[in-house]
Amino acid sequence: MTDQESAMTDEIERELLLPAPPQQVWEVVTAPGFLAEEVELELFPGGDARFGDGDAERTGWVEEAVPPGADENARLSFWWSTDGEPASRVELTLEPEAEADGCTRLRVLEARPLEVLDITGIPLPGTGGGAPHGPSMLALA
Amino acid sequence: MSTDVFGALADPTRRGLLSAISRHPATATELAGGLPISRQAVVKHLGALTDAGLLERERAGREVRYRVTPEPLSDAVSWMAHVGAQWDDRLAALERAFTR
Repeated sequence: MTDQESAMTDEIERELLLPAPPQQVWEVVTAPGFLAEEVELELFPGGDARFGDGDAERTGWVEEAVPPGADENARLSFWWSTDGEPASRVELTLEPEAEADGCTRLRVLEARPLEVLDITGIPLPGTGGGAPHGPSMLALA
Repeated sequence: MSTDVFGALADPTRRGLLSAISRHPATATELAGGLPISRQAVVKHLGALTDAGLLERERAGREVRYRVTPEPLSDAVSWMAHVGAQWDDRLAALERAFTR
């Protein structure tokens, strides 16, 4: 049933145009205050990630981190999960806005494993810390 | 797509129908009995909820009975609503920080 397939897409997509260049947006979205109150991110593939909001803590790992300045759009992808919950994958893309100089289009994508991993047949990552992780290895390949 | 689900849930009548059906599977006639709208209008709303994958149909004699689609789906709906709201908050705060 095709109706059911389309509804099974567990994916959040958002977009926001910001009046600042990618470098500045990158600094803010990777710093504490945006993803969570407390943010510890190792900005390299396989790096550890920890996010704290009061009592709530999420842990995960970085899949890919491309800061602004490269030929391609800056992007950060990582996995996060609350203890015991299935992990989900977040991807932030920072694109310089062609229409408006000095502005950045920020795209956010959060998806659950079903959507991302079933396609490639990658086993689901475990929750919590621990390395190495399958998909990050794949991202490196 | 997630927009189908949220589009289907954007209407208060549809949210009410979904909630009633989640308590007990029902036919369009049964549902229309308790509502100030026609059976035909109810059928239309049920069609939208079914297209979004929130309801499924089963034969009940000459009528069709609707029931809520089993777990993964309702789980997906609550996940999208919850996580989507978190991103809305984060992005709203980010926008405020940059336009201050």
